[in-house]
Amino acid sequence: MGGVSVEGGHGGKKSVDSEIPLVPFIDLLLCCIMFLLVTAVWNKLARIETNQQQPGQNAPMDQPQEEQIRLFVHVSPTGYTLSDTAGVRIQIDKNGDVYDQEGLREKLRDRRQQEPNRRDLIVTADDGVIYEDIVSAMDIVVGEGYEDMSLTPPQM
Amino acid sequence: MSIHAPGRVLLHNIPLKFVHDRVAGGGRKGVDVAIALVPFIDFLITLVVFLLTSFSASGELLAQRPNLVMPTAANVIDLEIAPIIAIDPQIVTLDNRRMADTQTLASNAQLERIEQLVTDLETLKRNWSVLHPREPFSGTVILQADRNVDFRVVKKVMFSAAQAGYTNISFAVNQGGGGGGGE
Repeated sequence: MGGVSVEGGHGGKKSVDSEIPLVPFIDLLLCCIMFLLVTAVWNKLARIETNQQQPGQNAPMDQPQEEQIRLFVHVSPTGYTLSDTAGVRIQIDKNGDVYDQEGLREKLRDRRQQEPNRRDLIVTADDGVIYEDIVSAMDIVVGEGYEDMSLTPPQM
Repeated sequence: MSIHAPGRVLLHNIPLKFVHDRVAGGGRKGVDVAIALVPFIDFLITLVVFLLTSFSASGELLAQRPNLVMPTAANVIDLEIAPIIAIDPQIVTLDNRRMADTQTLASNAQLERIEQLVTDLETLKRNWSVLHPREPFSGTVILQADRNVDFRVVKKVMFSAAQAGYTNISFAVNQGGGGGGGE
């Protein structure tokens, strides 16, 4: 057993040696390990937050709605399209069967330099696009700082 | 038959001298083995620290389903308590109750609401308002969809959720590398 031996305790006085109770200590550690193993989460789940309201949609009725340029990332079976209501339209085609995620990231970074304060962006997608590709696009959009992201189908 | 104290019995019938000597003892090295407690405790402490660092209090909010593979994303936030709509390749469920068939939704191009889903979400919204009368309704729903599901199905589910007043959609994902995590 573990013990601490300290000089002294002579002359009929009480000994100052002390024993560390190792067995209860090991029991405690084993109980902690059992609890943590039972409650352990091996694949961490999280979420990407979006809304279905377009920017400015929930503005008060008594205030005139500010004319605002809306920025879109459209995911289609042929690739991404970055566009806005001012007429800008940038097509980012697929590389073969794979979406050009790095291209989208670069274009969003360029746009960020033009509008550093913009936080809103609308992601739209066509029918036939699989969910994983839309999540990848949303992940890139949030990663580039557009946290106020909306996901709406084109016709909604 | 008289009773006598038992002696050493094991391995005594083997007719080999070195075995007999080893079994009898005879001043040889002892066979007791001490457990090395200090490395053992070090190992346990290391294990506890590793498990504590990987501990997640919000992990039980959402369970991974065997027939549903979620996509991976890096820029994510922690889960919160909300109704869970799951879309697997066969069915759409709300809190494990079946709402619609995925194939049926995918085959119809028209944007239509899923009546069962809208009704149940409206019920959940009313229940929430009764249980939390002073808190504003957040309108958040967690969407847990298989990564190969057509967006057409997701769109109909989102449309139905919006019809029921749930406009904030949280897409459940597996957290990939380099994520933000936490809010």
